[in-house]
Amino acid sequence: MIGFIRLAVFGFIGLTVLYFLVSIYSRSTRREELEKAWGAEQGPGDRDGFIAAGMAEYEKGLRKKLIWLVYVIPTLAVIAAVYLLNFA
Amino acid sequence: MRYVKWTFIAIIALLLFSFFHYTLPQTDIARVVGTENRRIDFGENSFFWASPDVGTAIDKNRDVFFIQTFRADGKPMVYRNEDTGWGWPPYFKLDSSNLQAEAQNMVSNSDNPRWAAITHYGWRNEFLTIFPNAISIRSVEGPDVGFFPWFNVMFFIVLGGVLLMLWRMWAQFRERTIDPALESIGDTIDEVDAKADNLWARVTRWLGSWKGKPRR
Repeated sequence: MIGFIRLAVFGFIGLTVLYFLVSIYSRSTRREELEKAWGAEQGPGDRDGFIAAGMAEYEKGLRKKLIWLVYVIPTLAVIAAVYLLNFA
Repeated sequence: MRYVKWTFIAIIALLLFSFFHYTLPQTDIARVVGTENRRIDFGENSFFWASPDVGTAIDKNRDVFFIQTFRADGKPMVYRNEDTGWGWPPYFKLDSSNLQAEAQNMVSNSDNPRWAAITHYGWRNEFLTIFPNAISIRSVEGPDVGFFPWFNVMFFIVLGGVLLMLWRMWAQFRERTIDPALESIGDTIDEVDAKADNLWARVTRWLGSWKGKPRR
């Protein structure tokens, strides 16, 4: 039991670090895309407003929610490994 | 310096290769000739043993299951059969007792051989008395069955993808955060420099005001 708790706690810490790194990266690439889109079109509106609106949309969008897969996929992989290697 | 650099790179490459060769699964074709368990006092080789069965106590010594086999080439190979539990390497093996029963069920002699594919990780080394840890066992047709290492190929593809992703993340961070910060530090230094120049010009002008007017 202690081994399982240790795996869960350290796994959770590691995945949380990864979650934040991926969030920062994803947000950064989205902002860069918006900056480039505005740079190519010189519009609509002013640059800061356009980027702020785009980022507000990103915060509500599907792409940000998909980052939760950072937690889901390793957990499913462990469950699948336990099943396949012991009970299949 | 070139020799030092290449020696260093070679050692790193060797360590990485050994690590993956030890940890990733491999499949042997072998004929089980017997199973046993014996008590092991872990010594210098304790690094190469896994963990006690999940839920049982940890002590300095314990009984370990062994599976004795002969490979298709006629050479003996002995596997240990230990739980890895929730620890390293991440095989999450909890069923060593069941595996021992399966291995026992496959015992055969050389006159009437029953061939089995034994998936395992680890090394057999006589100098350290270490054994590969059997993960699973199943019947196969004959000694010449081959397996394509699907899992290992997938593993390295995924590992490559993860490394590429980490590298991309680092490149993005450098481009968007570190470089602008360095640039702004550079700008600040330029500003300070300009201010210093400005101050120096004022000081020399002030000093110049003490000079006498040029004589006519």
